Amino acid sequence: MPLKKQESSHEAAGRAPEPLEVLVEELRHSDPERRWSAARRLGERPGAAAALAAALPGEADPRILEAIFTSLIRLGGDESASFLLPLLRSDDAALRGGAIEALQAMPAALATQIEGLLQDPDSDVRIFAVELTRKMPAEQATALLCRMLDGEEHPNVCAAAVDVLAEIGSAEAVPFLERCRARFDRDSFLAYAISQALHGLSRTAT
Amino acid sequence: MASPGLRPDRMNRIDIQRGLADVTDEEVRRLCDFVYRKTGMMFAEEKRYYINRRLAERMEATGSTSFQVYFATLRADADNEIEHLINSFTVNETYFYREDHQFRCLTSTLLEVITPKKKAGEPVRIWSVPCSTGEEPYSIAIWLLENWDKVDRYEIEIVGSDIDTTVLRAAEAGTYGERALMRLSKDMIARYFTKLDDGRYRILPELSSTLQFTKANIVNAGQTGAHRNFDVIFCRNILMYFDDTSRRLAAENLYESLRPGGFICLGHTESMSRITSLFDVCRFSDAIVYRRPLGESHG
Repeated sequence: MPLKKQESSHEAAGRAPEPLEVLVEELRHSDPERRWSAARRLGERPGAAAALAAALPGEADPRILEAIFTSLIRLGGDESASFLLPLLRSDDAALRGGAIEALQAMPAALATQIEGLLQDPDSDVRIFAVELTRKMPAEQATALLCRMLDGEEHPNVCAAAVDVLAEIGSAEAVPFLERCRARFDRDSFLAYAISQALHGLSRTAT
Repeated sequence: MASPGLRPDRMNRIDIQRGLADVTDEEVRRLCDFVYRKTGMMFAEEKRYYINRRLAERMEATGSTSFQVYFATLRADADNEIEHLINSFTVNETYFYREDHQFRCLTSTLLEVITPKKKAGEPVRIWSVPCSTGEEPYSIAIWLLENWDKVDRYEIEIVGSDIDTTVLRAAEAGTYGERALMRLSKDMIARYFTKLDDGRYRILPELSSTLQFTKANIVNAGQTGAHRNFDVIFCRNILMYFDDTSRRLAAENLYESLRPGGFICLGHTESMSRITSLFDVCRFSDAIVYRRPLGESHG
């Protein structure tokens, strides 16, 4: 029989946790394997969010960036979110995308911030905020987006909201969508997107 | 005391005789969209009857008087309804040679890529996780013995792991009913199993003694950290049950358990690309699998 049983034990070896400052130092190591390992282990260490977030802008390896974001998600809470939110304004698409995915995975922390983001002066940030609502509880997201739609002046932000409402919205969104279509009646794309969303919502409601 | 049966106010929404929910095409689409977003499982139009039966069961179990009421319950995940629905959509049954196109890919392609880089005496290591009651790791062993002409040239280590110690004990016992063996030929059953007095079949000890079974939860880095240097991992039909955070964590743990250049096979409804960018997608003629990039760094 060519198959062999590996005789060594697979029991997880107990390992004393390294001091936090040692792992933080490892995040800056020239060896990417050590940075990767440190990034992953810091996800189990409360209080590591600041160090993880500080490592993001200088990290060029996408694999390690992903591990840092995963660790920030695992640490969660308002502290992690407070480090992720500024990344929505980053010029680096990898950091923006990573922050959006991470924030979507921490709905409780996001809930306290999302209304402010939906009213941000920067329309790009408002578009990212709309995307963040996609994974929120549908009723909550629908209410947020409907409120925003009534006052939103930027058609691209409205289009982003319509896209999310078409996916997760309910009949409550219909009058808000109709008002938005009336306000942007000269924007053919937005009018079409709203018509499609209304069509789907009306079929669901019947 | 109310009858435990169907209440009259629900009768207009569930056809009692046929066990079908009275729902529109659009409602089915919304349900399918929801299941897809939660699990990655996609149900095509031809599955409408199957979906409808499962939906009727869950509407009845939750006392939902309409699709809207049920969908609100589902979205709120009241009483873990998402898990209940997903479980109802999943056939919790496994058997030998399930999704064997991936085993074909293993011998036709993956091992042909992996083995030329092996040093003398270096084993080929394969991990089946979660392995449930052992059908998958034993299937891999039997497939290799039956289909890989180089099987005698290499030491092959197969490890089966699961979070559930009860199924691990069953895997070690290696006893199966006829239904689990339905995809094996009579000759293969005769070669690898002994028929027991109760009509069940036990895998030959010469084979079962070559596999190792261990406890491991793929979202626990401490446990997966003890499972390293695998050339191929079969991790099928489990990631779809996890939330986004757990999927990311599991993907990173599995990445660490693979050698650089090693492959991971997921269930046919699962996609690593939707979870992480850590792996390269490899489209082979028999299967789509994911590969840990060669070299230290990925990017």
